[in-house]
Amino acid sequence: MDLRGSSVINFTRSAFGVVFRPIESATKVVTRPLGNAWNGITHYNEVVEENNRLNDLVAFSEGSTISAIASVREAQELLSLNGLPTLAGISSCTAQVVGQSPSNFTQTVEINRGSECGLKVGMPVLNAAGMIGKITDVYNKRSVVMLLTDPGYSLAVKVVNIPAPTTTTTAAPGTVVGDTTTTTSTTTTTTLPRVTTTTGIPGFVPGVTIATSSTLAPLPGEVTVPVGDVGPNQPGKSTSSEITVPPGLDVPLRETGALEGRGISRTPIVRFIENQPRFGAVRIGSPIISAGGATSLAPPDIVIGSVSRIVNRTGTLGPILEVTLAANLKNLNFVRILLYQPSSERVVAP
Amino acid sequence: MIERVLLLAENRYARLILVGLMVLSLQTTVFNDMRPFGVCLQVMVLLAASAGLARGSDVGAIAGFIIGLLYDLVLTTPMGLCAAVFAIVGYLAGVGQSLVYEPTWWTRMLLGSIASAIGMILLPIASTVTGATGILNVRVLFVALIVGLFNAVLSVPAERLCRWALTEPAAVR
Repeated sequence: MDLRGSSVINFTRSAFGVVFRPIESATKVVTRPLGNAWNGITHYNEVVEENNRLNDLVAFSEGSTISAIASVREAQELLSLNGLPTLAGISSCTAQVVGQSPSNFTQTVEINRGSECGLKVGMPVLNAAGMIGKITDVYNKRSVVMLLTDPGYSLAVKVVNIPAPTTTTTAAPGTVVGDTTTTTSTTTTTTLPRVTTTTGIPGFVPGVTIATSSTLAPLPGEVTVPVGDVGPNQPGKSTSSEITVPPGLDVPLRETGALEGRGISRTPIVRFIENQPRFGAVRIGSPIISAGGATSLAPPDIVIGSVSRIVNRTGTLGPILEVTLAANLKNLNFVRILLYQPSSERVVAP
Repeated sequence: MIERVLLLAENRYARLILVGLMVLSLQTTVFNDMRPFGVCLQVMVLLAASAGLARGSDVGAIAGFIIGLLYDLVLTTPMGLCAAVFAIVGYLAGVGQSLVYEPTWWTRMLLGSIASAIGMILLPIASTVTGATGILNVRVLFVALIVGLFNAVLSVPAERLCRWALTEPAAVR
């Protein structure tokens, strides 16, 4: 009876579809909560697990962006200063967040690692994006972490300011002042002098010696002259030399302050930033990293966040910086605890 | 020995501790995840207020102290802070109940709500007194409002629970 391609059968099916589709749609709408409830019961853990994984990925990528900005500037500074301490070499312990505080007035979370892992009060806690807080209570198999947003939290931080576009004035020897040529550079490219680091050479004191390129063969167009008797700068003579910008001026400028939490509904702030002309104006988006130091509970250069708002104050009072944290504190899953103790708190063996 | 254990088990405050532990487990699990408008619901303070509503100000103060002490055990706040605040909440709820002529279910709801809200305001004040900084702000009022509203809904069953738990041993037998 079912004739394939029969126009009568096709018409009947189409007519039934026209009548049945609204009924089917209505039934679907009515039973959707029931289905959702069932799916929620049976697939809830999978969804939560996937959500946590995706949150970690998002946090990782957000932190990586800020970390990359800071790292570029760090690298510039490292080239200029020939070495800075890093996080490498500090042992860590990975833990999972198992709960949060039921109080409305404290921002703490509980993790499933404790003293058995070597955790101690004060150790910094990070996730993939950056710092999230510090340990305040340690038990055998669990610990309590005070988040950065807790009003009781405070940490010494550094603000890495983005250098402003530099203006370089050059004057050729013997020219009149009025003929000065002004060049405005908007790039941050820095041409460093050719240097030879003497690592590994006997008698070398690390951090002291940066040998110039006098031992190298001169580059094309480069002239090697004895020091003191020729050139624009000679003893007892005028110094109408070319004004050059030293490479160190392009490195990021830093200022230290204190990060303070203000509760879960408000972003943390950085206080005690000084109005220094060399540091210049703080810019929105400047990275905030931990300052470190002998008494600080966190090692230097841990990413915390970026400046989201600047509240300028009159007089000598420096600005107050509102900070957007790199880590999303509302979706914490796996965290890492740096087994770091400041030198001032280390127990000296007898 | 068994008699002593039975006497201890029949003690109304022993029953209150057991009930408090049950409610505390709900507080740290279900109500910790349920955060309407970003506010963690506080059923422990409701239990303290309900104790005062059920058995008067004196018993309410003692019960509130015990419940607060249980809550202090899971918080990072100074030990005894919640105990002191919840004792005040239980006492105030009992006093409020004694002032009402022929209390009804809705007066109990109202008193439970107000007492819970007062507790949520007193808690950050007490924390500030003990050295915490930065928690006494406008958000405290918002938290008190939300906690008060939700505790009003749960106050009638909570009051019945406390009335049963704080019954004299002879009446239970």
